[in-house]
Amino acid sequence: MKAKIGVYICHCGSNIAKIVDCEAVREYISTLPEVAIARTYKYMCSNPGQDLIVQDIKEHGLQRVVVAACSPRMHERTFRAALQAAGLNPYMFEMANIREQCSWVHDDPQAATEKAKALAQAAVRRVVHHEALEQMTVDMCPNTLVIGAGIAGLTATLELAEAGQKVFLLEKQDHLGGNLARVDLTAPYLDSARDLLIERITRVRSSGNIELLLNSRLQQLQGYVGNFTATLSRTGHDGPGTGKIREIQVGNVIVCTGYREFAAERVTHFGYGKLPDVITSFDFEKMLQAGRIECCDGTIPKYAAIIHCVGSRSAEFHGYCSRVCCMTALKYVHEIKSAVPSCYVSDLYIDMHAFGKGHEDFYRRTSEVKTMFLMFGKGDHPIIRSAGPKDDCKMLIEVNEQLSGELIEIPADLVILMVGMEAQEDAMETARLVNISQDKEGWFIESHPKLDPVATTTDGIFIAGTCVAPKDIPDTVAQARAAAARILARIAKGKIAVDAVYAEISDDACSGCRICNELCPYSAIEYDDKKKRSHVISAMCKACGACVAACPSGAIKGRHFTDQQILAQIEGVLR
Amino acid sequence: MAVKKLQIALYWGAACGGCDVAVLDTNEFILDVAALADIRLWPIAVDGKYADVEALADNELDLTFFNGAVRNSENEHLAKLLRRKSKMLVAFGSCAHLGGIPGLANLTGREEILTKNYLHNPSIEPGNKKIPLPETDLNGQLLQLPYFFKRVYRLADIVPVDYCLPGCPPAPEQVKLSILALAGGKRPPPGSTIGAAERNLCDDCQRSKSEKKIKHFYRPHEILQDPDKCLLEQGILCMGPVTRSGCGVRCPDTGLGCRGCYGPAPDVMDQGSKFISALGSIIDSKDPHEIETIIAGIPDLTAILYRFGLPASFLQRSLKL
Repeated sequence: MKAKIGVYICHCGSNIAKIVDCEAVREYISTLPEVAIARTYKYMCSNPGQDLIVQDIKEHGLQRVVVAACSPRMHERTFRAALQAAGLNPYMFEMANIREQCSWVHDDPQAATEKAKALAQAAVRRVVHHEALEQMTVDMCPNTLVIGAGIAGLTATLELAEAGQKVFLLEKQDHLGGNLARVDLTAPYLDSARDLLIERITRVRSSGNIELLLNSRLQQLQGYVGNFTATLSRTGHDGPGTGKIREIQVGNVIVCTGYREFAAERVTHFGYGKLPDVITSFDFEKMLQAGRIECCDGTIPKYAAIIHCVGSRSAEFHGYCSRVCCMTALKYVHEIKSAVPSCYVSDLYIDMHAFGKGHEDFYRRTSEVKTMFLMFGKGDHPIIRSAGPKDDCKMLIEVNEQLSGELIEIPADLVILMVGMEAQEDAMETARLVNISQDKEGWFIESHPKLDPVATTTDGIFIAGTCVAPKDIPDTVAQARAAAARILARIAKGKIAVDAVYAEISDDACSGCRICNELCPYSAIEYDDKKKRSHVISAMCKACGACVAACPSGAIKGRHFTDQQILAQIEGVLR
Repeated sequence: MAVKKLQIALYWGAACGGCDVAVLDTNEFILDVAALADIRLWPIAVDGKYADVEALADNELDLTFFNGAVRNSENEHLAKLLRRKSKMLVAFGSCAHLGGIPGLANLTGREEILTKNYLHNPSIEPGNKKIPLPETDLNGQLLQLPYFFKRVYRLADIVPVDYCLPGCPPAPEQVKLSILALAGGKRPPPGSTIGAAERNLCDDCQRSKSEKKIKHFYRPHEILQDPDKCLLEQGILCMGPVTRSGCGVRCPDTGLGCRGCYGPAPDVMDQGSKFISALGSIIDSKDPHEIETIIAGIPDLTAILYRFGLPASFLQRSLKL
């Protein structure tokens, strides 16, 4: 029996119709023998548009549907749902993209219309070979592993635990708090970091749902979303349990491994490590926490200078902005002025990035406490040298000031380098263990930078805080809570649906050649040594097709992307 | 009355003669064949004229083994003739099955082949450089030669084929089993590949296999081989993963990579593209220059990928033909 196919050509308002002659596409497609019905409509994705499909399926007994409209990324789900509502298997559907691939990229209406016909015909040819596929569901283990106990990890942990779920909080160091524990006050409201942390740490320590694993590292993560087995090891140098291995079951993982500070000695021109009173922002935080701002000889500085963008926004080191340094520098101005009111503070910056809530106001207030702001050029840098015996300061800083256009020399007893953030030293190892990707700077990559910022391409692995990119405390906390919320929603469902599109290996055709074994970016392929066959764990497969292309014996088939379907589609385009 | 003997023919198209030798390599079994069947045509071994075949009634032959590709009008004529006269037509060996080694000529054109062979070949005496023509008038006598086609075809491109028996040449044991199967009552369904397995070569290869990463390709004489380890893992090109089994793992067992003569594995559409796709997945480098260097270690890649099956591949032929 011939397939009964319905084809729907969308105008997308005027997005498609202004270039593509949709009526001509409809007429052409109607002549194909398998096409039972072909219609055009202004907005196929609208409710009336979808109803059109549902009605036709019911009235005309359509078995398969093609929509020629926008990209499948945009609306494949929408139309699959319409098929399902009409009682058809959602996979009996194919989209032809005549917007991004025709009307938006071509200005010759005739050629664009011919291309739209070819793409629609390809979709018709392909959909003939579609098979009804069923989604699988797997159980969701309600436990979560949180890696890293900085402000992100602590926040996510509390969010989950206080919703009644079990959390394993893993921290490689012997204490909680991460980088925030090294900070005195926070910008722009000058709250104490210690206060922020202590309250959270107390709640974490007293919760019955949290198992705290200090001095511990993740060694291995196996399994898939809802069903991970994490192998942990104790790393402490001594004490009970060192080297001990332990396995735990978790359904999801949140990676909150944070950042490390840029190593100031990599920038040679500021004399860090040589001039004893040139210190980093973290050296200065230590001073602040100790409650005494002083030079290396114990004297109180008369002149302090703060230099921005050390290691950040530079062609040589990191191109990105570390986002928190500008406000931290302003915070230092306030802290210096409050501890040593007579101290003369200069702030040497490239651009003042004051984008966050309350930041611009903070900048204004800092100007009011008599700070000397000096702007230097990107690609340029101030030059620090030791002062002479006649000078009343330890160092002199020469800066090519941009706003005045003059070469200015300023005195300094203490120079604070605002070191940026960079990816953790072991970020690559972490990424490998949990199977997520890193960008060229080493930051972990989100599933979608705007629309899906805390998920990753590995289902069940979430990322939050400064392991993703430099960010301040409010953004970090928001991400941590977002990741926790995503997981709580999944735990509430109890089960998780796994897409019906995945690769599968035919035992008969597989020869155990093992060419596919190392290829899977999601570690979904296992080799059975007894059977001498490889197989795909379907719940872990993301249907990328790498193994399908590589399988030399044709034993691996990509469901919904079979050779037959793809070749039919190619033939359709070449009509 | 004696049981009617099986009427058979064996023919060679564009071939090297190896397939006929493979039939003879069945040794004393050939005597059983003679007892079982009347051989009506077998140019390499038995005297028989085309006119005798033309005189046969349609379907008078029970079985024809056609080896060799279709390269010229004579091959084509005999293919059509034998198809008409035979109940069962078998594409015997790689050339009839997939185009074989002669099929690699599809990478160049007819004119180029004739010019190179008859005008620029260093062994041709000066003054004797002539391209043979289909018809030549010699002292009033018309001399005829078959017409040399633009491209090479496999047998199935010219006439419907009942069975394919792969191999270059087919393994003698498989020839014997196939003759017995076709002569007997239990014939495989038409369209089947006979004398071969429904799996790929690695399935029958006893070498140990592990995860594969290739940094360098070697020709077999260039390295000291580990006799128990997968050849591909040692950097020796072996088409086993994409190739149908049935030969008895002849080449890998002697330390040579499989050359792919049994054709694509049962679930493989295009042997060469499948193999390059697999190779691309296991080359151990992410650096484009290094990858180029590694690939450059393979001499004449196209001919290696499609050594036996260019006319049957997606590519089929060079466009300049």
